[in-house]
Amino acid sequence: MKETWRLVDLEYRDDPFMNLAVEEAIPRAVGEGKAPCTVRFWHNSNTIVLGCFQSAELEVNFEACKETGTQVVRRFTGGGAVYHDSGNLNYAISLRKGHPLVPESDLQSVFLKLSEGAVQGLRSLGMKAEFQPINDVQVDGKKVSGAAGSIRWGTVFHHGCILVASDLAILGKVLNVPKVKLADKHVASVQKRVTTVREELNRDVTTREVRDAMVKGIETCYSVSLEEGVLTRDELSVSEELYRSKYSRPEWNLEP
Amino acid sequence: MVSVKSADYKAPGGKLVRVRLKEENGVIDSVRISGDFFLVPEEDLSKLEKILEEVPLREAEVRLAIDRFFSATRAQGLGVSANDFVNALLSAKEEAVDA
Repeated sequence: MKETWRLVDLEYRDDPFMNLAVEEAIPRAVGEGKAPCTVRFWHNSNTIVLGCFQSAELEVNFEACKETGTQVVRRFTGGGAVYHDSGNLNYAISLRKGHPLVPESDLQSVFLKLSEGAVQGLRSLGMKAEFQPINDVQVDGKKVSGAAGSIRWGTVFHHGCILVASDLAILGKVLNVPKVKLADKHVASVQKRVTTVREELNRDVTTREVRDAMVKGIETCYSVSLEEGVLTRDELSVSEELYRSKYSRPEWNLEP
Repeated sequence: MVSVKSADYKAPGGKLVRVRLKEENGVIDSVRISGDFFLVPEEDLSKLEKILEEVPLREAEVRLAIDRFFSATRAQGLGVSANDFVNALLSAKEEAVDA
């Protein structure tokens, strides 16, 4: 019999801080055995999401954030800063540690394995999507999706964002991309090394369409069925507590 | 003599390691490491920063401290290795990094 995973679409589009609180509450619950393996899809309105090791001061152009109404929040996983808007689809996969899909406990195998759902979903829409180590999904050498993750709380956690129809001009403004990074990739700007699903397919694609394609992609490549569900009362109260004590606080989001 | 040094070090085939450190008479006084790498468990980065305090800013001592950190904590880096942290620290320069 196929394994069933929970499918959660809970999101707070205008509250990135609550979105990131939920993002942490789910893997905590999954690791404790209080929730089943879970896939979540969600959106943020204009937001920079920093990796947990990044310096807000170095990465963020606060002036441009003010002009564009972009908020800044830090996630609990490493990796680089990403720009979210309503044209960007976020997904997160939480599996109990030791799950047969990802028996190795190294992050590179997690990214490789758990990016497959996104790759499969994008391919089904007609894109030549490929996983590109360390943590990207690319189409013809351009990044369309990035992932991050961790192994903690007894959970293998992987999340990623897919640029479906994001405003790449704002992305290029609000993030300070260090020259040393672009030089290494032989391109002149962040805008030139990323692309969107809409740009690649040359048609009006919605994040809902990509979400549906990814649901099928995940079901196919991991041989599971996704069943729509909600957060438990416990997960909701942990989310609220994480919101209060961590994600709504500048100390977490902006310092040091 | 106190000096403030910084470096943006791109690990070959990996991620960016950004170092901001205070050095006093050739010894690291404090250091802040940031970047877009992965390190599991995440809390261990502040342990590494702590371990580097009072370590002479020279290759042998810095390498020893970082190697010890990785063997003692079993921290797992992705997009960054012990060697990358060593190189990032040793490449820290006094002049402001061209952002």
